[in-house]
Amino acid sequence: MNEVITNNQEKCDQALAALHHVIDPEIGLNIVDLGLLYQIDFDEGNKMIFISMTLTTQFCPMGDSIRSNAGTAMQHAFPEYTIDIDLVFDPPWSQERISEQGKHFLNRE
Amino acid sequence: MVITNNSLVQNTTHKVVIPFYAYAALSFLAATVLLFFSGNAFTQHYFHPHTLAITHTMALGWGTMIILGASHQLVPVLIEAKLFSNFLAYTSFVLAAVGIPMLVCSFFHFQMDWIAQTGGILINAAILCFIINIAMSIRKSKSQNVHAVFVITASLWLLTTTIIGLLLLFNFTKSILPEDSLHYLSLHAHIGIVGWFLLLVMGVGSRLIPMFLISKYDNRKELWLIYFLVNGALISFIVLFFSRVDVVLYILPLLAALLALVLFAKYCYKAYRHRIRKQVDEQVKISLLSIAMMLLPVVLLLVLIVLLVFSFADAKLALAYGFSIFFGWMTAIILGMTFKTLPFIIWNKVYHNKAGLGKTPSPKDLFSESVFNKMGIAYLTGFCLFLAGVLLSSVITLQIASVLLLITAVLYNFNVMKMLLHKPLIK
Repeated sequence: MNEVITNNQEKCDQALAALHHVIDPEIGLNIVDLGLLYQIDFDEGNKMIFISMTLTTQFCPMGDSIRSNAGTAMQHAFPEYTIDIDLVFDPPWSQERISEQGKHFLNRE
Repeated sequence: MVITNNSLVQNTTHKVVIPFYAYAALSFLAATVLLFFSGNAFTQHYFHPHTLAITHTMALGWGTMIILGASHQLVPVLIEAKLFSNFLAYTSFVLAAVGIPMLVCSFFHFQMDWIAQTGGILINAAILCFIINIAMSIRKSKSQNVHAVFVITASLWLLTTTIIGLLLLFNFTKSILPEDSLHYLSLHAHIGIVGWFLLLVMGVGSRLIPMFLISKYDNRKELWLIYFLVNGALISFIVLFFSRVDVVLYILPLLAALLALVLFAKYCYKAYRHRIRKQVDEQVKISLLSIAMMLLPVVLLLVLIVLLVFSFADAKLALAYGFSIFFGWMTAIILGMTFKTLPFIIWNKVYHNKAGLGKTPSPKDLFSESVFNKMGIAYLTGFCLFLAGVLLSSVITLQIASVLLLITAVLYNFNVMKMLLHKPLIK
């Protein structure tokens, strides 16, 4: 089940739409359908967005690039906010987090 | 503004890794050129100057250099710590890059003089720099795991191999060992093949293959068992070698190594079965094929031992055995894994700071897939034909096969250079 915890569902949907363009270069699937996003919270007072996300493996050589791309995509979508991205590996990513569209994409023979 | 935490290990700079890859690619080309002009050597005894030159080009210039390069990139990721020293990595490269041609040229002309000895000393110094760098990186790491233990143990076996090699070089001119150098050749070769190449491929492969297949399969107990079986096999082989026991007893370490290979193949198969992504690209397929190809030298060695029990030494079989290792599984796994690691290193180098500036190509777009596929066909055909040529002592088959292997190396170099010279598609 691919659920992102948030304190603002409307803005979270905008954020997910922006992050939908960030692709894991090795897998070829976007990070939303891959289920890499755990939490997106908005602090309207301080104009901050806190993103908690993971990678398919802690050993991912593209991790830094995926995180940079996510930051750039969010900055474009929310130019007036400061984006704080926290990479976490607890809980570890599991295939259960892949969305139905993502599973369909990966199951192509 | 974007703020990020530091939970990711900083990658080793591409400046450290790329020279090793480039050197290895050129060494593979050089080895196939030598093979092309030395077809006759493969119809004679394996202790032939040209065979020794080709073997060392493959083992050191090709296999070892690319593994050293990849290890500088992969070990920090495996142990979750920064590489201890870039300077030691550069020093290691320069020493090996100078030492290897000195040694290979000396073998080719069979002049075991100061040039060969200096080459051997430089190679040993390069390996020592590499081990210090890896050991210090591991010492500073918070997380030590089975894969890192495989790498450091394999590196110590590599140093053992090169020290023995150096002693054998000096033994050609001054009798410093009780027997002649030929006597110790199998000891030197097997410590290198099993202790360095096999142990390292298993340690790193058990991490990379599930990662590239996006498989969640992990079995630490099985990996530890494989680790003890391989090391046990090698140590018992060394003990048997110095005990001068009956050749039939060599079956014991061989069976232990065979069991480790079967377990490793099972590990990879399970990772394959548990993969999330159904599509398996050609680069991973050729790497998986290389694991199956590991069984070929074991079978050949088994036949060799059985023949030796009946006092029948078959030089052709010994040559086929060596060829099936250096041009067989070792080359197959490098051909596959190069195109699963180098594209990411180059992509990170070229596009790391261009996130969000436009559509970037994917790492696999940095090389030609069609050239890769042609390379795969040329390689597999060339390998099978060459093996047949050695076993049949057919010079014409060897020549046709060596042309195919030369084509493999040219296509491999084309794709590697295409990646190394890649210019960003967005400004």
